Amino acid sequence: MSSAAGDTLLAARGEIRELGAHVVAACFNRAGTRAAFALGDGSVHLAASNVASPGAGEWQRVDVHDGAAMALSPDVTADGFCSAGDDGALRRISATGAVATLFSSGGKWIEHVSSFAEPRGGLLACAVGKLVHLFDATGARLKSLAHPSTVTGLAFDARGKRIAASHYNGASLWFATSKSENPRVLEWKGSHIGVAIHPAVEAVVTAMQENALHGWRLSDGQHMRMTGYPAKTESMGFTRSGKWLASSGADSIVLWPFFGGGPMGKPPVEIAQIEAILCTRVACHPRDELVAAGYANGVVLMAQIATQRVVVLTEGGASPVSALAWSPDGARLMFGTEAGLAAVVDLSARSQAHAEAEPRT
Amino acid sequence: MSELLVPVTVLTGFLGAGKTTLLNRILTEQHGSRYAVVINEFGELGVDNDLVVDADEEVFEMNNGCICCTVRGDLIRIINGLMKRAKKFDGIIVETTGLANPAPVAQTFFVDEGVRARARLDAIVTVADAANLPARLADSAEASAQIAFADIIILNKLDLVTPDAADAVEARIRAINPLARIVRATRADVPVETLLHQNAFDLARILEMAPAFLEHDDHGHTEGVYSASFEVARPIDMQKFQQWIGTLLQEKGSDLLRTKGILHIAGEARRFAFQAVHMMADGDFLETEAAPGEKSRLVFIGRDLNRPQLRRGFEACQVAA
Repeated sequence: MSSAAGDTLLAARGEIRELGAHVVAACFNRAGTRAAFALGDGSVHLAASNVASPGAGEWQRVDVHDGAAMALSPDVTADGFCSAGDDGALRRISATGAVATLFSSGGKWIEHVSSFAEPRGGLLACAVGKLVHLFDATGARLKSLAHPSTVTGLAFDARGKRIAASHYNGASLWFATSKSENPRVLEWKGSHIGVAIHPAVEAVVTAMQENALHGWRLSDGQHMRMTGYPAKTESMGFTRSGKWLASSGADSIVLWPFFGGGPMGKPPVEIAQIEAILCTRVACHPRDELVAAGYANGVVLMAQIATQRVVVLTEGGASPVSALAWSPDGARLMFGTEAGLAAVVDLSARSQAHAEAEPRT
Repeated sequence: MSELLVPVTVLTGFLGAGKTTLLNRILTEQHGSRYAVVINEFGELGVDNDLVVDADEEVFEMNNGCICCTVRGDLIRIINGLMKRAKKFDGIIVETTGLANPAPVAQTFFVDEGVRARARLDAIVTVADAANLPARLADSAEASAQIAFADIIILNKLDLVTPDAADAVEARIRAINPLARIVRATRADVPVETLLHQNAFDLARILEMAPAFLEHDDHGHTEGVYSASFEVARPIDMQKFQQWIGTLLQEKGSDLLRTKGILHIAGEARRFAFQAVHMMADGDFLETEAAPGEKSRLVFIGRDLNRPQLRRGFEACQVAA
């Protein structure tokens, strides 16, 4: 693994902060102009994505939750965010830090938030215990979807037509806006702890308590078993093309092929291995077949799937990477750690030229 | 190492035994510690505490070949969630519903790596109503399980029974669980410091229970949940023991609620401590050395215990005479 560039890259192109609490989640807004970090002390920190812009060094702290933040997603609007906490509140945060409450569960934890945007509006979803509440772009509640046990993961499909929720003994796939009261139930015995939908909606994949992934091919219900992980998969996602499913839970990025008949009967490809150090977060690039990954020792790197070439962004401290996200245009990457380190890195070509032209001291 | 892990106390007991009274006391008393409390019914507690977490006891079966390996998935989620909080706390108390079997809670701490890395099971505390326990034991398997799993039993509401009746209930408890510490109380007035931070699941603590291993073995008892204790004089062959206990837990694990042992292993000066919750076992060498000629001891708490068979099995683990 090449690591020569190491922290120099982060120093030259990034903004780094010590925020002082567990970074629970991180994402960019849809316009890609702002980056938000949600923390275990209930705060959300807003940063400019363009680290070279004037005033980019000034991050804004917004106290959003009384307790810990548990989930964060971009809002359906271009520039805002949505966060949820163990105070039972679902709140909207504007790009300038104004906070408005969308929904309150009366104290029950809200552990998952997801959103889908379209030109005419969009959908917001949050999970409270066994229920998934769906809201329209104005924040009006459309409906509540009931599940047999607590919902452990939420995902909209690429067109916002369907929403998947993972729970005990499988996942439920709902048509988000139809009147239909019944989901398609994807069954597999055990505790499912996270969910992802293939970009062309060919398959739904869940992570399981038993250090494995399980998938269902939607055309015929064919089961897909993906096993061999030394630890639970806490983070996974498909590449833009849908050819690969990237996942955490091993000491490398584990990639399952969703082509050529896979993943059934095909071994996964493992890239960016760091011997005996668990990969804790993965994030697929929104355009290219490239995966960013964070590790339990704080290392953050990018790996190109075809060439397996690895670029290390930071050698890290000792704290596990707990949040990782790309900007919608794929030019910027943000990450956070359990110890509270947070960073936004500009990887655009323009910034590269800028960084290289600058004399190093 | 274990000091870095947040201690988790599991509080069980039948409805009306005094569990809520005890919880309220723990939360309102000035003891200088902060506890997160995981409960089933919101509003049941008379305190407004930002560390009270609402849970639905959600049990699932692990897909790992164990027929009785049920786990509380909600607890895995909640413990991981609580650990993200910036405002730290000194411990977690998990209340179970009156009818709950404590096994899934205990097994959760053996099964999930994330939980093991952050928290440790400190003790299972069972609140029992001195007046009603005999009736509960007669009509419910869960009541026996709650007594069997307990590390500490609070024999509550003693003001409602005669001293003789209290002694009889205590003897009944001892027949099921000879290893638990019994604390007598009225209105759950037990000092909090005697319940929390007990390290009851620490293997080294098993040593302290050693004298109790053989005291209350109720040989006549063959119904419901009871205990069977054994001791052998010659040193234990580690390989034979591992093989025997492994097979035994695999085959009889659903009937063996808890198993604890202190072994003198051949060729090893240090004592070996062993414990299991159903099929989930944990064992390690202790820092202390066994006295010369010290016997190895093993206690089973469970149902349908075949004493002669267990005795022969344990005896066969000794090195050749």
